[in-house]
Amino acid sequence: MNNPCPFSMQHAVKTGGVAAIELRQLSKRYKGARAPALNGIDLTVREGGFFGILGPNGAGKTTLMSVLGGLLKPSSGSVLINGQDLQRHRAAIKRVLGMVPQEPAIYPTLTARENLEYFGRMQGLTGKHLQSRVEACLEIAEISGEADQRVEHFSGGFKRRLNLVIGLIHEPRILILDEPTVAIDPHSRALIHQRLRELHAAGISILISTHYMEEAEQLCQEIAIMHHGRILVQGTVGDLLAMQRNETIQMQLTGDPPAALAQKLQKLPGLQNAFVSGRCVMVTAERPDEIAVQLMQTVHEHGLGVHSMGFGASSLEQVFLSLTESKAEK
Amino acid sequence: MKQNLTKLVASILKEARIIGRDRQALFLFFVMPVVFVLILSLALRDAFGERPGATFPVLVVAGDRGEISANVIRAFRSNSHLQLTESDHASEVQVRQWLIEGRYMFAVLIPPGATEQAKRRIGEMAARVPKELLTEKPVEVRVLADPALRGDYRKVLEGALSLALHGVEMRLGGEQLDQLLKTTLGERYVPMPDMEQTPVFMPIHSEVVTKERGDPTPTSVQQNAPAWTLLAMFFLTVPLSVSFIKEREQGSLFRLQTMTVPAWVVLGGKALPYFVINLIQMASILAVSVHVLPLLGGDRLDLGHSPLAILVMGASASLAAIGFGIAVAMYARTAEQAASFSSAVVMIMAALGGILVPKAVMPPLMQDLAVFSPLSWGLDGFQDVFVRGGAVMQVMPEALGLLAFSALCHGIAILRYESRI
Repeated sequence: MNNPCPFSMQHAVKTGGVAAIELRQLSKRYKGARAPALNGIDLTVREGGFFGILGPNGAGKTTLMSVLGGLLKPSSGSVLINGQDLQRHRAAIKRVLGMVPQEPAIYPTLTARENLEYFGRMQGLTGKHLQSRVEACLEIAEISGEADQRVEHFSGGFKRRLNLVIGLIHEPRILILDEPTVAIDPHSRALIHQRLRELHAAGISILISTHYMEEAEQLCQEIAIMHHGRILVQGTVGDLLAMQRNETIQMQLTGDPPAALAQKLQKLPGLQNAFVSGRCVMVTAERPDEIAVQLMQTVHEHGLGVHSMGFGASSLEQVFLSLTESKAEK
Repeated sequence: MKQNLTKLVASILKEARIIGRDRQALFLFFVMPVVFVLILSLALRDAFGERPGATFPVLVVAGDRGEISANVIRAFRSNSHLQLTESDHASEVQVRQWLIEGRYMFAVLIPPGATEQAKRRIGEMAARVPKELLTEKPVEVRVLADPALRGDYRKVLEGALSLALHGVEMRLGGEQLDQLLKTTLGERYVPMPDMEQTPVFMPIHSEVVTKERGDPTPTSVQQNAPAWTLLAMFFLTVPLSVSFIKEREQGSLFRLQTMTVPAWVVLGGKALPYFVINLIQMASILAVSVHVLPLLGGDRLDLGHSPLAILVMGASASLAAIGFGIAVAMYARTAEQAASFSSAVVMIMAALGGILVPKAVMPPLMQDLAVFSPLSWGLDGFQDVFVRGGAVMQVMPEALGLLAFSALCHGIAILRYESRI
C-alpha cells in the first residue's frame, strides 16, 4: 500500500499541455531489499519545465533516474514521457531523452572528440550532421581547445562538462541529469548552471537530481524533496517556504546553548522536532504559536536570551532539514 | 538494420582504439604467447616425437677389452637418445657415487675378462660337458640406475643391453659351431656367410599411420603451438571480461543502454576486435613455429595440408573463448571477480584439456574427462590438421562443438544483458 505524498502540492504544476515526464505511483524494490527504493512516486515535469529532485544520499534519486533512463524496470506504476508509456515505446522515447549520469560515463583513453563522435553515432547521427553536433557540443562545454586530448588527462570539471554535452549530442527535448555538479570546481559548476539555463530557455524540459540546495533554488522552477524512496513534498521554492511558514519557529540565541537544551525542547508538549546548530534553534510544531512562549521560557531557564525570533523557514535548506530529519526520527 | 551496422562498425573502431592505446595489453596479447611457445617448444623438444638430443647420461664400465664391451658400447652409441661415457677402470663404489651425484642415470658394469669367460663357457658347452659339471660360471654384467630415471626408460635400456649381450652370445656360439664343422668336415668345410653382412631380417622401420598420405611425426611444437595458441585465446577472456566490467563501472555501458543500441551491437562491437586479436595471435604463433623455431634449433611446425581447416579451428576456438569471456562479464560484479574467475576456469579447462599436460600421458579416466573441456576440442581439431593431415571435414566435429559452446555463452550473455533493463 503506497502512502500518498504527505505535503503534495500538485496544484502548483501548470498542466497546460502534455507533461514531459509523468510518474504515476512508481515503485521499485530491489531483489532481497527490505524496503522499496522507490515507494509510490507521483511526479510531473511539465513541457519546458525545470524540475529539481532534492534528497539526501540513499533517498532513491539515482534509482529514479535509472528508471527514467530505461536502465531499471519499475516494480509497479508507470512512466509517461511526452504522454507515451516508457515500457511500450522505449525506442521512440530514448530518441528524445538525453541522460547525464552521475559519474562521467566516458571512455578515458579516447579523446573528447572521439567520445562525442562515438556516442553521436550510437544516437544515429552520421556525416556532416554528426560533425557539426560534435563541434557545437565542444563549444557548449568550452573544451574545443582540448578536443583532441585523451579524457584521462582531463580535470574533474572538464570530465563533467564532457559528460553533460554527450547527453546533448542528439539534441534531446528532455534532459535528465543525476547530480551533474558533484565535486567540481566553481568555474565548471557555474558554466554547467549557465548552460542548463540556456537549454531551459530554449524550451528543453529538464529534470535534475541534486543535493545542493542553492543549485536547486537557483535553477529549478519546481522542486520535490525525496526521502526513503518517497516524495515528501513538491512545488515551487516559494510554495515550499510558505508551506513551512506555519509550522516552523526559528530563534537566534544570545549565547552558546548547552547540550541539554535540545533534549529539554524535545519534551515540550505540541513540539514535533527541535534542531540546535550553533546559536540557531529551529523547531517544528503543528501550532507553533501555541508553544512560542514555552520555548522562550525554556531558553531563559538555561540562562540564555533570544536575539531574534521568527515564524517559517527562511531557506530551502531549513525546509529540507526539517522534513528529512523529522521523517528520519519517525 | 543499416543504422545498426553503422553503430557496430563505430563500436568496433572505438574498441580497437582503446585496445591499441593500451601498450601493456598489446604486449600481453601478442608477445607473451609467442615467447611462451618458443620457450616451451625448445624446452620440451625432446619430450615429444623422435627428436634426438641430450637425454640420458649413460656410463659403460668396460672392464673387459673384448667383444662384449665392444658390442654393448656399439649398441648404446647407436641410440641417439643416450649420452654415452666409457670407462675401463671405474670401481663399483665410484660408479654408485656418480649415480647419487646425478652424473649418470644408467650404468653398465662389464667385469674384466668377461668375453674370455663367455668363450670358455661356450667351449665347455660345445664339448658337451654336462650342465652340473660346467666349471665356468655365467658372465655377470651388472646394471646400476638412478631412481630419477623413469621405469619405462630403464626397461628400454635393459632391453637394449640384453639384446647386445645376446648378440655376443649368438656370435660366440656361431664361432664354436663353425670351428666344430671345420674340424669335422676337413676340406669339405665352407665357412658360413657373415650374418652382419647378410641379415635375415630387414631393418625395422615403423610407419606412423595418418588419415592422409605422408608420415608426419608428432613433435613438441605440434603439441605446443596449438596448445598455447588455444590458451592465449582463452586467456583473452580475462582482459575482455575486465574491459566489459570497467565499461559498466565507468557508466559508459549504462549510457549506451539509455540509447537505441541493440545488445548485439554492444556485444559484437566488443567481441569482434578480440576475435581479430585471436586470429593475429594464432597467425603469429604459427609463423614463429614455422620460421623462427627451426633457427633456434627446434623443430619446424608442419602445418599439414589445409590452411582452411586451420582457419576454421582458429575462428571456432576464438568465438568459444569470446563467448565465455562475455558471459563471465555479464555475471561478475567486479573486474577482480571476473579476472580471477575466468583465469581459474581457463586454467582448469587447460589442465583438463591436455594443454598443460598432453592427454597421451594422462591415465584413461583423465583422458575421458578431457572431453568436457572446450580447449581439448580445440587441441584435437588442430592436431587433426597438423599431426594427422586432416582437412575441413575432419575438424568439423571439434569446430561445431566449439561453435555450439560459443552460441550457448553468447545466448546467456544477451539474455542477461537484456534482463538488466
